[in-house]
Amino acid sequence: MTSLQLALTIGQHSDKGRKEANQDFHGALLPEESLRGSKGIAVALADGISSSEVGHLAAQFAVHSFLDDYYCTSEAWSVKTSALKTLAATNAWLYSQTQQGQGRFDKDRGHVCTFSGIVFKSTTAHLFHIGDGRITLLRGGNAEPLTQEHRVVVSGDKSYLSRAFGIHPQLDIDYRTVALEAGDVFVIATDGVHEYVEPKLVLEALAEHGDKLDAAAAAITAAALERGSTDNLTVQLVRVDGLPSGEIGELQQQLAELPLPSLLEAGATFDGYRIERELHASSRSHVYLASDAATDEKVVIKIPSVDLGQDAGHLEAFLMEEWIARRISHPHVLKPGGQNRKKQFLYVTTEYIEGCTLTQWMRDHPQPDLETVRNLIDQIARGLQAFHRLEMLHQDLRPDNILIDAAGTVKLIDFGSVSVAGVAEAIAPAERGTMLGTPQYTAPEYFLWEEGTTRSDQFSLGVIAYQLLCGRLPYGAEVAKCKSAAEQKRLKYASLLQTRGDVPVWVDGAIKKAVHPNPEWRYEAISEFLHDLRHPNRSFLSDRPPPLIERNPLVFWKLLSLILFALVVVLLATHPIAGA
Amino acid sequence: MAYLAPAEFVTKMVDAGESKIFMSTRDTLVRAYMAGAILALAAAFAITVTVQTGQPLLGAVLFPVGFILLYLLGFDLLTGVFTLTPLALIDKRPGVTVGGILRNWTLVFFGNFAGALTVAVMMAIIWTFGFTEAPNTVAQKIGTIGEGRTVGYAAHGAAGMLTLFIRGVLCNWMVSTGVVAAMLSTHVSGKVIAMWMPIMVFFYMGFEHSIVNMFLFPSGLMLGGNFSLYDYMVWNEIPTVIGNLVGGLAFVGLTLYSTHVKTAPKRKPA
Repeated sequence: MTSLQLALTIGQHSDKGRKEANQDFHGALLPEESLRGSKGIAVALADGISSSEVGHLAAQFAVHSFLDDYYCTSEAWSVKTSALKTLAATNAWLYSQTQQGQGRFDKDRGHVCTFSGIVFKSTTAHLFHIGDGRITLLRGGNAEPLTQEHRVVVSGDKSYLSRAFGIHPQLDIDYRTVALEAGDVFVIATDGVHEYVEPKLVLEALAEHGDKLDAAAAAITAAALERGSTDNLTVQLVRVDGLPSGEIGELQQQLAELPLPSLLEAGATFDGYRIERELHASSRSHVYLASDAATDEKVVIKIPSVDLGQDAGHLEAFLMEEWIARRISHPHVLKPGGQNRKKQFLYVTTEYIEGCTLTQWMRDHPQPDLETVRNLIDQIARGLQAFHRLEMLHQDLRPDNILIDAAGTVKLIDFGSVSVAGVAEAIAPAERGTMLGTPQYTAPEYFLWEEGTTRSDQFSLGVIAYQLLCGRLPYGAEVAKCKSAAEQKRLKYASLLQTRGDVPVWVDGAIKKAVHPNPEWRYEAISEFLHDLRHPNRSFLSDRPPPLIERNPLVFWKLLSLILFALVVVLLATHPIAGA
Repeated sequence: MAYLAPAEFVTKMVDAGESKIFMSTRDTLVRAYMAGAILALAAAFAITVTVQTGQPLLGAVLFPVGFILLYLLGFDLLTGVFTLTPLALIDKRPGVTVGGILRNWTLVFFGNFAGALTVAVMMAIIWTFGFTEAPNTVAQKIGTIGEGRTVGYAAHGAAGMLTLFIRGVLCNWMVSTGVVAAMLSTHVSGKVIAMWMPIMVFFYMGFEHSIVNMFLFPSGLMLGGNFSLYDYMVWNEIPTVIGNLVGGLAFVGLTLYSTHVKTAPKRKPA
């Protein structure tokens, strides 16, 4: 049987069973036509661990973020790439929640859950599985388990999860593909169901309820409960009713590798848009203002430069940008633009903001007053925090990447260097150094090829605050010249007060702390920096240098040990050991 | 073969100039030293070819090999940084100062000089069996070149100085065009072809290149050329450096910047 579209029937049911709360979470997403062709249909089931009070939250987050984020990924990515990146990011977020909460000491109480998901695209099912759920394929009256439970049995009745979401910073998830045949039924079940119900019973339930898969799913969970299951009960049934014909499947695969567009000119029509004019061009990308031919909506189209188009690593980063933009929804972060329609070329669309970059703004306002600067820094910081909350680092914050619209609202643009926790870096850090080309705002630790943290973004924010106030950089051109921690230690911060006598000492102190060459010495959180910009911090007001334990803990403890050692020697000398 | 749009490569030029200013002292010196040394070797090679075949064109055709090599290895010549670094200042890149540019030029000058001098000493040893024998024909030729292009200019007085300066200007006009043209292509083969032509032109036409001269003249002095260190400095090196600076900056850096960067609108939403 062949039809033009992949046709599925989905049935699902969840029940808390004998437990007090249902910590299972399940969902399915059938997107609109165009997305269905490029990204497919996704079904997911997660089971939060019962020992944790937040297991249900973890399960809910895992399913939600998978179904949302997966469809945000670039259409140029394969199902495997898109899903694995999404799941890795989800895992990283859950792991960080685990680390912040009780789970730090006891993994059984963390944000931990199992996950089993399937993406049906064209004629293939892509399976993603971690934990003790199970995906079974029913084909021609036979049942074939497609996954293995990640469970280690310690003794007769004791066993624990060997792999799950939210336990480790790196995700180790099973992936496999299955070629679809019409009539296949995929059964996704949590351990509360698959440990109590054999496939024969599932087949019977399916035969009995016909097209009513929800009812069949309910019957299966009821049967599991009847047979003494003590866990939450959830089952999802997906029946393949029709497959797209072969040629269409292949065509869709070809389109997954979108061609690079050539450079555009004003007035040209491009993939359903009319190009109004070029906004910006550089060796990294070309940016155009365009209007949708159908709706007249203004969007910004960004295409990779010819230079960048040669490099697979850079193209990868370019496509990541689109995904990142769709993941974040924040007033101070640029939104993706245009409709979610199928693209014929490799490009990115974003909303159009009429305004100027912060670089231009600084030229127009060489000596802004303190309150204006604080207002701008507040807005930039809020945009940054939106990245940090999702376990992402901006890594390339600079005035060229900040837009100010007519109303004074600040938006962060350009996410080409954003790193997403858990997602393997497309470009190795050693290569990235040559790529950024803006060493003025890059935190010193990056020059030592160390991993960035939120404090690295804080450094860039501090440099921008400094530059806004006095037009110069806190360390001039020196940061990039330091290639070792010892050289960085010698970096001298040029006090703001030399050029801006009207700025209070404590504001200078706050900025000095935010741009400290050593990340350990910066603020713990960006919010503290913002607070100190508005409230005089007493430690910046006194002329006394901070105590030695703060300035150099190592020297402090060495000194203390030396004193203790001397004391011991003195005591030994004055109190002879008895009997000696 | 991919070819970059002007707007792409001029921003690359500015970025390249900026990154040189931000380079650490050690890296700047090492890269300049290597550039001077490789260019000096290429010059020694080209003159050997010219003398032994009696065909100057052949020497000029082969000379660009050395230049291309040092460019691809990422080493810096004074002629190149003359053209690129001021662009970062003109583009108002934060942290870029006149002092930073002068620091870069000074470091590159001394690095180039040290590299070229090292090769000059080594080649002199080879050509004279460790200063035990009379210089061979190649070495004698270098001595006469040194004479002609110092005392020869001096003999013409102010007109000689003008000629020397213009030769310096034309030289870096060509060399920097080669450097910039190399940025046009994203492939090594494209970069090589783009650099070959202008470098060959300058060598065959006998234009004055400050770093090639850092090899030629010290060599000439060591091999018994009939001119003094004073002649070399006043009647060649210093006017050549100034000519190179004017040629690279005025005819390559500033022209490309003013026509391709300044036309781009400053407002750039996204």
